[in-house]
Order: sequence, then C-alpha cells, then structure tokens
Amino acid sequence: MGWLRLAFVMYVALTIIYFLTSIYSRSVRREKLEKAWDTDPLKEGVQSAERTVFIDVGMQAYEKGLKKRLLWLIYVVPTVGFLTTIYFVNWH
Amino acid sequence: MWTKIKWGLRILAVLVVGLFLHYTLPQRDIVRIVDTGNRITQIGENWIFYSIEDTGTGAETNTTRDIRFIDAVYPDGSSVMVYRNEDTGWFWPPYFKWDSSTLQAEAANLRRDATQWVAITHYGWRIPLVSAFPNAVSISPVEGPDVTLIPWVNIVLLTLLAFMAFMARRMWLQFRERMVDPAMVDAGETFDAMGARAEAARKEARGFFGRSRAWVNTWRAKK
Repeated sequence: MGWLRLAFVMYVALTIIYFLTSIYSRSVRREKLEKAWDTDPLKEGVQSAERTVFIDVGMQAYEKGLKKRLLWLIYVVPTVGFLTTIYFVNWH
Repeated sequence: MWTKIKWGLRILAVLVVGLFLHYTLPQRDIVRIVDTGNRITQIGENWIFYSIEDTGTGAETNTTRDIRFIDAVYPDGSSVMVYRNEDTGWFWPPYFKWDSSTLQAEAANLRRDATQWVAITHYGWRIPLVSAFPNAVSISPVEGPDVTLIPWVNIVLLTLLAFMAFMARRMWLQFRERMVDPAMVDAGETFDAMGARAEAARKEARGFFGRSRAWVNTWRAKK
C-alpha cells in the first residue's frame, strides 16, 4: 500500500505544479505577443480590436503547439526518474 | 535590526536546506569492508535516523529491530565507518531500496578478499551521540583507493533543483508583473479617485455653513 500513498501524494503535487506552470507559460506567451504587436512599427495606429484578434490567434496557436505539450514532461520526468531509481537500486 | 533578522532567517533557511540535502543525497565512500553482520538495535528517540516502521526490513517492533551493519575502513587504514543496511520503503528518502539482504550478501562476498576496494553509495550521517548510521544503498567493486568517481546523480539532481528554484522565481515575478502590479495600479487609481471625491465633498460641505462661518469671522476682532 505504500506505493499507492506515494503515487497519490506525488501526482497531486505534480498536478498542482503542472497547473501553475501552464498558467505561467501561457502568461509568458501572451506577454510576448503583446510586445510583438506593440513594438511593430507597421501596427502603429491600428485599432485595438485587431490587436485582440492578433493575440487570440497567437494564443490558439500556442494551445496546439509543441511547447504546450512539453509541459507533460512535468509528469513524465519524475515517473521515469522514480522507475529508474527503483531499477538501479534493486536490480543493478 | 529588521535587516539583521531577515539575513538571519535567510542564512538559517540555506543552512536547513543544505543540511537536508547533505543528509539525503547519495555519497560514495571508497573503503574496504572488514565486517558484516546484524544485531538487535534499540530505536527510541533517534527513530528519525532509521527507516520508518512499514518498510519490511524484518520483524519489527516499536523499540528494537534487527538491523544489518557493514563495517568498513577508509584508505588511510585507521579511520572506519559503520553503515547500516536497511530497506528504505516507499516514502522518504526516495531510494526505493528493498534489497538489503542482497546487499548484505554482496558485502559479505566482497569482504572475503582483504585487498578488494569498494565504493559504497550511502546517505545519512554517522552521529555516535544518537547512534545514527549512514544507510548503505549499493556496493560496487573499484580498482583501488585512488579511483575518481564523478557524482553524476548529484550533478543531475542539484541542477534540476536549481532549475526548479529558478523557474519558481520566474513564475513568481511573472505573476507579480502581470497580476499583482496592475491590480495595485487599479487600487491606486481607485484610491486617488476616492481622494478626489472626498475633496469635492469637503468643498461642497463647506458651502453654506462654511461661508456663514467665514462671514461671522469677519466680525471678530483682529488679533
């Protein structure tokens, strides 16, 4: 039963970390898009509705992108790490 | 005064984290094994330096446990170390070691050759005052006492920890920049607006009575 307790605690903690990191990652991407628009001389004077659309499109691309999927590593790396530890400590 | 307290707390935090990592992370000693065996060991107030109850090392009770030990001698030939050899179970520290019987057999085998040097991976501290022993995790034969071992596991783990601390800081700063600061600006604007309203209200209130009093005051003797 010990391993169930460990797995439960670990995945609850990892889920919290996953959500915090995904919020952070999204926020960074949004800021980048905002800055890309704001510093582009061609976009000077264009109305703010288009800015909103530009950012929305960029965020949709992010949601489907590789970087978003890489966040699953937050679950994968510790799991692989623990399994490797178990293997090397006990059978190597 | 406040600065001193802040720095004191910071140093304390670094010290606690450092000691915790030093206790938990694996270290390797190059030694010769001179004896292996087990003995009934009293575990009382020093329980924190032993495996927790449900690890299944052997027949366990609250106060005594049969624990395997490995005695070893360092290359200088006189300083020695005693390792305990206990399963670690499922929780902390996360070594997931269940092969203490196998490890003991390996130790006994390597002990037969008196010239055989081994690297013992272990965690924990030897504190004679509280009968604490480092826990041996694995044993591997090495060529001699001068062999250089690169602590890859610690390099990887410490790099990961540093990365996590760095990311936590970045996340906090991002959160402050994007969420807290705009909210503070909003609050500041609200506060300013409130101030302006209060000012207007004060001017308004001054209206009739204020003007009357000012008129009355003009009749007073000048001092």
